[in-house]
Amino acid sequence: MEGSSSSQPSDSTHPTASGASKFLADLPSRGLFSSTVLSSNPGGMRIYICDHDTSPPDGQQIKTNQQNILIRSLMLKKQKGDSSSKDVKGVAASESSRKRVAERAADGRASAKRATIQNSSRQEGSNSQASNRDFHTFTVDRLRALLKARNLSPKGKKDELIARLKGATG
Amino acid sequence: MSIWNYVVTAHKPTNVTHSCVGNFTGPQELNLIIAKCTRIEIHLLTPQGLQPMLDVPIYGRIATLELFRPHGEAQDFLFIATERYKFCVLQWDAEKSELITRAMGDVSDRIGRPTDNGQIGIIDPDCRLIGLHLYDGLFKVIPFDNKGQLKEAFNIRLEELQVLDIKFLYGCSKPTIVVLYQDNKDARHVKTYEVALKDKDFVEGPWSQNNLDNGADLLIPVPPPLCGVIIIGEETIVYCSASAFKAIPIRPSITRAYGRVDADGSRYLLGDHAGLLHLLVIAHEKEKVTGLKIELLGETSIASTVSYLDNAFVYIGSSYGDSQLIKLNLQPDAKGSYVEVLERYVNLGPIVDFCVVDLERQGQGQVVTCSGAYKDGSLRIVRNGIGINEQASVELQGIKGMWSLRSSTDDPFDTFLVVSFISETRILAMNLDDELEETEIDGFCSQVQTLFCHDAVHNQLVQVTSGSVRLVSSTSREMRYEWNAPSGFSINVATANATQVLLATGGGHLVYLEIGDGTLTEVKHAQLEYEISCLDINPIGENPNYSQLAAVGMWTDISVRIFSLPDLNLITKELLGGEIIPRSVLLCAFEGISYLLCALGDGHLLNFLLNTSTGELTDRKKVSLGTQPITLRTFSSKNTTHVFAASDRPTVIYSSNKKLLYSNVNLKEVSHMCPFNSAAFPDSLAIAKEGELTIGTIDDIQKLHIRSIPLGEHPSRICHQEQSRTFAICSVKYNQSSPEDSEMHFIRLLDDQTFEFISTYPLDTYEYACSILSCSFSDDNNVYYCVGTAYVLPEENEPTKGRILVFIVEDGKLQLIAEKETKGAVYSLNAFNGKLLAAINQKIQLYKWMLRDDGTRELQSECGHHGHILALYVQTRGDFIVVGDLMKSISLLIYKHEEGAIEERARDYNANWMSAVEILDDDIYLGAENNFNLFTVRKNSEGATDEERGRLEVVGEYHLGEFVNRFRHGSLVMRLPDSDVGQIPTAIFGTVNGVIGVIASLPHEQYLFLEKLQSNLRKVIKGVGGLSHEHWRSFNNEKKTVDARNFLDGDLIESFLDLNRTKMDEISKVMSVSVEELCKRVEELTRLH
Repeated sequence: MEGSSSSQPSDSTHPTASGASKFLADLPSRGLFSSTVLSSNPGGMRIYICDHDTSPPDGQQIKTNQQNILIRSLMLKKQKGDSSSKDVKGVAASESSRKRVAERAADGRASAKRATIQNSSRQEGSNSQASNRDFHTFTVDRLRALLKARNLSPKGKKDELIARLKGATG
Repeated sequence: MSIWNYVVTAHKPTNVTHSCVGNFTGPQELNLIIAKCTRIEIHLLTPQGLQPMLDVPIYGRIATLELFRPHGEAQDFLFIATERYKFCVLQWDAEKSELITRAMGDVSDRIGRPTDNGQIGIIDPDCRLIGLHLYDGLFKVIPFDNKGQLKEAFNIRLEELQVLDIKFLYGCSKPTIVVLYQDNKDARHVKTYEVALKDKDFVEGPWSQNNLDNGADLLIPVPPPLCGVIIIGEETIVYCSASAFKAIPIRPSITRAYGRVDADGSRYLLGDHAGLLHLLVIAHEKEKVTGLKIELLGETSIASTVSYLDNAFVYIGSSYGDSQLIKLNLQPDAKGSYVEVLERYVNLGPIVDFCVVDLERQGQGQVVTCSGAYKDGSLRIVRNGIGINEQASVELQGIKGMWSLRSSTDDPFDTFLVVSFISETRILAMNLDDELEETEIDGFCSQVQTLFCHDAVHNQLVQVTSGSVRLVSSTSREMRYEWNAPSGFSINVATANATQVLLATGGGHLVYLEIGDGTLTEVKHAQLEYEISCLDINPIGENPNYSQLAAVGMWTDISVRIFSLPDLNLITKELLGGEIIPRSVLLCAFEGISYLLCALGDGHLLNFLLNTSTGELTDRKKVSLGTQPITLRTFSSKNTTHVFAASDRPTVIYSSNKKLLYSNVNLKEVSHMCPFNSAAFPDSLAIAKEGELTIGTIDDIQKLHIRSIPLGEHPSRICHQEQSRTFAICSVKYNQSSPEDSEMHFIRLLDDQTFEFISTYPLDTYEYACSILSCSFSDDNNVYYCVGTAYVLPEENEPTKGRILVFIVEDGKLQLIAEKETKGAVYSLNAFNGKLLAAINQKIQLYKWMLRDDGTRELQSECGHHGHILALYVQTRGDFIVVGDLMKSISLLIYKHEEGAIEERARDYNANWMSAVEILDDDIYLGAENNFNLFTVRKNSEGATDEERGRLEVVGEYHLGEFVNRFRHGSLVMRLPDSDVGQIPTAIFGTVNGVIGVIASLPHEQYLFLEKLQSNLRKVIKGVGGLSHEHWRSFNNEKKTVDARNFLDGDLIESFLDLNRTKMDEISKVMSVSVEELCKRVEELTRLH
């Protein structure tokens, strides 16, 4: 790139005594390969037979954190927010959780399995204060699952299912 | 062959992919660690050189290998990540000599696109985290806690999708990576990121640099005090840091590997694609970089890894040629090179093609590979046998016989070596300086040829010449007694042991003498009806000095007879049949079983079981060892008896599990051999060959011996033609000196003995040779070489034009007889029913060999079959054609004679991208694909419906972990009628890593037994680093992972023999089979390769 060293490449194709010699001086040495006669084959190679236990020590079987990168960063932000302003905790939490739902829907890459796990855990949290409106947002399938979990009949229309659920929780 | 297959490595991988230097086996020990794809080798650096320590199999293909030193540790740990997303951290426990797993895990992600540019695994210089780049757009972090333990890994999104290299920067308060990447306009840039471990995210780093060299693809982080990074491009080298930017132009080259010389990072060795080694120097004033300098040092193999060892010694690991140990000299040699190659470590990889030939017609295959690439291309002749390690040699012409003698009966070592010539006898002895010099034994007759010599009891030596038998004192060296042959008769053949002499004179007289203290007594004389050709009285009974049997080979009636001693009564007469006289007989005992070996003048060897009490000969077997007369001699090595058969193909005969085994000796033509166990050369043999006397020791096991024929160009196809005794190869010569890297393609003819080029046919510009075949056609007695080519034009994606060239070898020249243009690349050629079957792009095409009116010949298209993506690999058997497709697995075609048409019969509907196919038997076909798997499919002729019959059923699956380029039927060992393994059919494969492997089809009963043994061995022999064998061998591609079936891992099974006794007992108990039986059955398998 620099004009000053443009002659370098042609020089480097023809090593001269002055060329590399000055750079090859003082190569690091720790006293190995110092014998004047190097033995060509000092001893054979032993084949390693691994007949001992090779499982790692406790806790050193490493797995990857399966949490979605985006969710993780939002969680971290949330935690930061929590610690910085305790007063607005409730607001921030609800806000972020709402945002999370939206984001999760948008993130097609999140696997279905993980999504359901997180969904159900969220529902468990919200069950205690389940309102009429909450149940209406659920799908019929989910309502039926909730009814089954309470040993109630999962048959009937959506309104009947909600009524039955309310009767059980209320 | 069958569906129950046993896969074993005959030649381990030799392709060096990674290497590093550090204190692994001890705080004070410096090690070189080399990765050869599925194995790692640990060497120790000593003042005397590199000392090999361990060869460790890894259950995975090594993607990255790094040494690192966690805080508070005295020695380095080894980090290994495999291509199948496993990693482990190993520590050497010097006390137990064990590799301890410090951590391991799975770093795969369920979603993500695997990177195109290879997996990257790096460790922060301050040991805060391990970074992995395995999927596009993701950077995986495995953090260390402050005790050096690994914590849960997490991913960080990396904006740059086309990453070329990532390295950690030195001297940063927070772990910082530098990323070299290509944007969507193909421009290359570097960028830095700090890894925020707490936020699990990147923070924009201290600097970045846009628009680098378009060929930049390697980063070298510079350690403190300079810090920063060197970016290696194809035309420039740049030093970059937050505060400095220095660049120098270089001669265009692609740098493949670098090695740091100084701890402060001021000098680096760079190895490029042409095998040139450069020294890169960072000029600096204190901590300020002032510029870069680059100097050419010289040429090495094309390096894949460069490790500076110590004291100007450097290890060059290569994927394309032999790896090397080199020394950097301060002054250039005559050619201006500073590089001195001290040692070459053989590398067969990449094996692009190979053929199995039996040049000596012994029933033992010899593999000739197309190995190496670019300028490091070579042919390698791989042959199984026993090696002789030459220790001394003298030029001596015309040796007729050799015997070693001791200076007294009790001396454990031999002193004299008697060498007999046609008209004189010379005596060599070890002098005080342990040198071999000529001496004299006064009592010996040295003006005539010696027929036989032996040590005798009472400190005596026996010499038999044509006129007399002399008894000489070994201490005073004076003659004590002489027995003269009857006048008018001369002694023709003679033999002796410590107390007996048996000799034959002309006219069929057999004379038996016994040796006393200073006397020779003629005990018995017998007159036989014919002349005697050979004799032996080697004691195999209880008394090591006295034989009760004598073996005699006869002229005229071509028989071998057993006489009793001392009365010379004929016990047994065995007619050998044929017209070739026995030239050497030998009584010997192996493992308590007595044999009579009888060698004929034409290189055949007969062996009989000998009943020592009745003299009965049973169980006759015949093997062919060579073509010239054989002389037999016993010798012992490691306290067991072996027999050396000297001939044009010297062979060692030994016994294992009460079976006679034959091993080639890695020497050409040996006329005589005798054991010579002197103090200076213990357990050695004296060998007379081709005007030379050699003293050497013999390997105790047979192994593969490799001979290299460097070509200086890249061979891609090879084929042998027996009739013309030639090889033909397709090769590419790269002209690297010209500005345009031009290639020239050739068909070359080589002599099959000397491997010299004897004729060359250059191909057209842009024309590549794709296939080669030696074949003959119906209605034509000539044998031809057929070559399939393709015109690879830069503007075409797939070749649309090619040629089939037909050559004949005349007077050692390739003569073009016919050529036929094709509409695509001729990927494969096969001889098929006296016609030529070609695979041309997506089509299979059959050509007839037609005689034109003017007497010339031409190829005429007969019929074809469409329906492949690219028909790359074709094998045929009878009327069946098995096609391996680029991406549509295996299909089976049939040629219908009546209709003159080729039709598809069945196919495997999996989408395997094939790399090789072979037909194991009528119904079972073997395939290798590009995810390093093997599989077998079976033709389903009994299917009820057309649909079932049209489907090739997958019957076997296995992860080999090697990219197979070729299968061939054949064997690396001598196939003998009396061995069990002789009945097991085998195929050989060659791979990119230089592996030569054997696939053996086992009987079902044996397969089940070994499968049980394998599953028990898995419990005892663990995977290094906690990697699982079951997982490693499971068939794996982008679509599925399934357990291996109908394939056994011979490497694991054969490691049973290396277990200690307690572990063997453990397995024997679970298997309810005795250890001896297990050893025997496994040893038999080791004889397959």
